[in-house]
Amino acid sequence: MTSPLSPSASSSFPPSLTSSDPRAAARRALRTGRVLTSIGLLGVFAAYVRAIAFTAVEGTQGPAQKIMYVHVPSAWCAFLAFGIVGICSGLYLWLGDRRLDTFSEASAEVGVVLTALVLMTGPIWGKPIWGTWWQWEPRLTSTLFLFFLFVGYLTLRRAMFDPAERARYSAVVGILGAMLVPFIHLSVYMFRTIHPRPVVLNPEGPTMPGSFVATLLFSLAAFTLLYLGLVTTRYGLGRLRELREARHVSAA
Amino acid sequence: MFLLREPPDNGSYMLAAYTIVAVVLVAYSLTLMVRARNEEQREQ
Repeated sequence: MTSPLSPSASSSFPPSLTSSDPRAAARRALRTGRVLTSIGLLGVFAAYVRAIAFTAVEGTQGPAQKIMYVHVPSAWCAFLAFGIVGICSGLYLWLGDRRLDTFSEASAEVGVVLTALVLMTGPIWGKPIWGTWWQWEPRLTSTLFLFFLFVGYLTLRRAMFDPAERARYSAVVGILGAMLVPFIHLSVYMFRTIHPRPVVLNPEGPTMPGSFVATLLFSLAAFTLLYLGLVTTRYGLGRLRELREARHVSAA
Repeated sequence: MFLLREPPDNGSYMLAAYTIVAVVLVAYSLTLMVRARNEEQREQ
């Protein structure tokens, strides 16, 4: 297998693929992605109905507390997306399989969209509860940096034309970006911050009523399914584009 | 004796957040599907 660090990597692009027909595999990914995305969107709609109509209003915060049912799942899926970017990037540097790089790009793009949602819904929740749209405190600021970092990652990819070089540099940025994720998760323990600590994933167990936790878990499942659908569709799209470009290069 | 208090009336914030999330997710999903269809057509 050609190492992505070797000088010959760019000339051997794309590396040998294990699938017998890579185009058929990409089209299969697109079909699977469309189905998962449709189911995921229906799931998110069902989560909306459950949160708005069938979950009690919290007494202190009022209806604004229900923003949690979209804010927390968006954040969870964004962190999952960037974690997968880090893992796939590391595996790409090790194995040199081009599909890992394509999957990293797909996951980063979906992660950026989800982080944008986190950064929009957070202040809308914060204004009625904290009395301010934004605070330059560790959790919020580091999430904003994570967003900028992965926007930079996607920009870097579009600025480089040599596929092997692009994949190699992107993998390094992807790994560094993913390393921010556990730091952001732990920032509420490490620093004084107005952002609340995790309400489900904390050592003492969930600190909310059972019906709130059930709605949150339902929404988490729906958003995760939607993430899987979006990332699979984006991966299939990326693969088809790469294979078309590789055909043009070999024909020229 | 319990003191009952009405929750604050801030449902508009919830509606704004839910609307933004729905619009962004549906728009991005549709964009991806259209891009995928265009790429498939270009292939053929």
